[in-house]
Amino acid sequence: MNTNLLPFVLFMSFVIVANRPLAVPQAQVQPRRIVSLIPAVTEMLFALGAGDRVAAVSNFDKFPPEVEKIPRVGALLDPNLERILSLKPDLVVVYHSQEDFRRQLDRAKIPTYIYTHAGLADVTATIRSVADRVGRGDKGRELATRIESQLGEIRRRAAGRPRPRTLIVFGRENYALRGIYASGGRGFIHDMVTLAGGDNVFADVQREAVQATSELILSRRPEVILELRADPLTPEEESKELAVWGQLASVPAVRNRRVHLVVDARTVIPGPRVAEGVETIFSRLHGGR
Amino acid sequence: MLQAADVSFGYRDELVVRNASVEVADDGFVGIIGPNGSGKTTLLRLLAGTRAPGSGRVTLDGVPLTSLTRTAVARRMAVVPQETQLAFEYSVLEVVLMGRYPHLGAFAVEGPSDIAVARHALESTGTLDLQDRAFSTLSGGEKQRVIIAAALAQLTADDPAIVVQPFRAATILLLDEPTAALDLKYQLSVAALLRTLHRGRRLAVVVSTHDLNFAASLCTSLVMLKKGQVMASGPVDEVLTPDRIRELYEVDAEVVRHPLTGNLTVTPLGTGARP
Amino acid sequence: MRPIQRRLGSTLALFGGLAAAAIVLGPLAGSTSISLGNVVDRSMPFEQNVDAQIFFVARLPRTLAGAMVGAMLASAGVVFQGLLRNPLATPFTLGVSAGAALGAMLAITFGASLAWLGLPLAPLASFAGSMCAVAVVYLLAGARHRGLSTNVLLLAGVTMNAFFSALILFVQYFADFAETFRILRWLMGDLDISSYQPLVTALPLVIVSFAIFAWLARPLNLLSLGTDAAETRGLDVTRAQRAAFFSASLATGAAVSVGGPVGFIGIIVPHLVRLLVGSDHRIVLPASALFGAAFLIACDAVARTIMAPLELPVGVITALIGGPFFLWLLVRRA
Repeated sequence: MNTNLLPFVLFMSFVIVANRPLAVPQAQVQPRRIVSLIPAVTEMLFALGAGDRVAAVSNFDKFPPEVEKIPRVGALLDPNLERILSLKPDLVVVYHSQEDFRRQLDRAKIPTYIYTHAGLADVTATIRSVADRVGRGDKGRELATRIESQLGEIRRRAAGRPRPRTLIVFGRENYALRGIYASGGRGFIHDMVTLAGGDNVFADVQREAVQATSELILSRRPEVILELRADPLTPEEESKELAVWGQLASVPAVRNRRVHLVVDARTVIPGPRVAEGVETIFSRLHGGR
Repeated sequence: MLQAADVSFGYRDELVVRNASVEVADDGFVGIIGPNGSGKTTLLRLLAGTRAPGSGRVTLDGVPLTSLTRTAVARRMAVVPQETQLAFEYSVLEVVLMGRYPHLGAFAVEGPSDIAVARHALESTGTLDLQDRAFSTLSGGEKQRVIIAAALAQLTADDPAIVVQPFRAATILLLDEPTAALDLKYQLSVAALLRTLHRGRRLAVVVSTHDLNFAASLCTSLVMLKKGQVMASGPVDEVLTPDRIRELYEVDAEVVRHPLTGNLTVTPLGTGARP
Repeated sequence: MRPIQRRLGSTLALFGGLAAAAIVLGPLAGSTSISLGNVVDRSMPFEQNVDAQIFFVARLPRTLAGAMVGAMLASAGVVFQGLLRNPLATPFTLGVSAGAALGAMLAITFGASLAWLGLPLAPLASFAGSMCAVAVVYLLAGARHRGLSTNVLLLAGVTMNAFFSALILFVQYFADFAETFRILRWLMGDLDISSYQPLVTALPLVIVSFAIFAWLARPLNLLSLGTDAAETRGLDVTRAQRAAFFSASLATGAAVSVGGPVGFIGIIVPHLVRLLVGSDHRIVLPASALFGAAFLIACDAVARTIMAPLELPVGVITALIGGPFFLWLLVRRA
């Protein structure tokens, strides 16, 4: 090369490269290093066949078993920005409410997928949207359709049956009927139980969570109580926890021994296994054990 | 008789009072004098029994204070501190009635005789008209007189039959710097009050003060305290001499019997620059 | 000034009546409407009588809990104020509630692993935590001086509060979202005990503390004159201070283990009572216990009904009243 021209060519290359239009990060189609802070979305990614592209997960991820080996980077309240950045992700799945964190990622020019937590119908919508985002659109539509038809089938089976008044508890103090949190008339837990054929006793409360005091429980007279738990219990623990409800012995569900500890993470994660979760709820609602 | 025999008291290695001996006769009026930091207040506390001496003994009629119950001591000795700060709002009468507590059983309450004693005590100090006032609203002089009344109520033996009763056994009133915060007028009225009480009842008085003239006008005997040790003690005219005053306060002074009052009067002349 | 027997008698009658009225009327308030006729209807079997169930299982224990917790926190407040000779002291000044909060937090966050006990862990842990805090404060305060220096006591208590709060933040880090929420709710107070058992369990502690309070009434009067002045009037000051510290801490720890750390009762009630009846502790103590019971029952009734069918935590109501009250107090004293 003519050495007199070399500096000029180098200089012009620099000018051209420096002035290229900034590509908007979201335009990338196939992210290959995904960080997912939402366990439900992690499950979706694996179900879509993109599990090998998951670089990090939240502290609370437990499924599928492969996540045991994947690094953890925090969760809703405490995402570890440094660790996340060190993994050089090209997509980070964040909660809608993590505003500050999202801004930090935008400043670092890392693309984000914003997840909003809502009703049952949004689960399949999210599956489709996440699938498109990671370039597995067809698989996503297939998975979503399959789940929707499973749910439809359960709805049909529930249609002919009586609908028991149901109290859905998703949190309380250990071995005490204190601090009971029940599902209100909003959210995917309410949707799941309603689809499976239960009448949420707090359907009229337009909130996702209701602090259920003993007066509220007594006045709503649930015929079935479902306690949703993700973590397993020993048989001894289970019987002790069930025995606690004896304090409200006059509640129909307690009197008729229709208090069920539903130890199934699929009932509390709005992810691809949600239809199986609804199936579990169905069987407990309608007399199964 | 109240007697401190060779008492010492201190914190860690520092002795605030050292080998002090004081005698208070049943009709005594003892003044404890000395500069600030000489241990006057501590000596007073040792005499009153609120602090136990590290060595030596304090006895009341021969019995060590430590072997008497607190209420038994409280019925014979009352202390008027320099200042009284109440944490809550009490009326004057309530404050004086608290002086009756050593005379009440564990769950007993004040009866009509106690209230009569309290009122009489207020009257002796000229504060009966203040009885329903809140204590915190009083002036410094009024407060001092009310506390003296409370002390008197504390020392009055309880005999439901007779309301106005001179003290049966000798009782002792101890006052810590009673005139330090008072106006001249109140200083004089408190002095007159103490004189009357001392003469009228079987009441011994111990007063710690830095006001030499106040001490000279009231006391029958003085205890001079220098750096925690008794420098001199005895009748007033024996103890209150220019030499002693120079030794105690490093001040030249003239000690003269006042033509009008008949009391010894100390007039400071200048700081003694003598080595 | 009338003789104390008569003042005590009329005060007890007045405040006793207030407390009794609160206990009777309390169960009538609630987030759902029930009919009293049904409640007393003996012909309907209990299982079908929802109104009676709500009255006897939900509301009555809750009202009694309000009475017990209110009485204990109010009288503990009086005793702490007398001990520290400061009208702004509260039952929580010396770190008792921070210890209780830490205990409850540990139970809520890590309690699952102690599941073999099968007992409700939070009340036990909160009581244990409060007693630990009390022991540490007492050791710190008694270490250097003979007797109990109230200044050191105050400093030790404030230090304990800060230290325990730091520990609470640390434990909070390990708690997940649901546990954090539950802890927050516990901190706001919760009288929904739905059973008489916690009251029965706490009863011996109540009796012991109140017995000591009865003895403490005169000593507290004397202590307000100053420790030396109290001593010269025949009081064993160290013994009285110890008794005050332990009994008030016991009452506070028991109250917090039943209903959580309900704030402001320990300062609002003693102040209002002193405004009405003066400062003689022989009257202020029983009056505060009775008024505290009535006051907390009333606050809880408001908390349960103001946003029906939802129920606010009672601590929110006491704080909403307490904040402006504190401000008024400060302005008044200035």
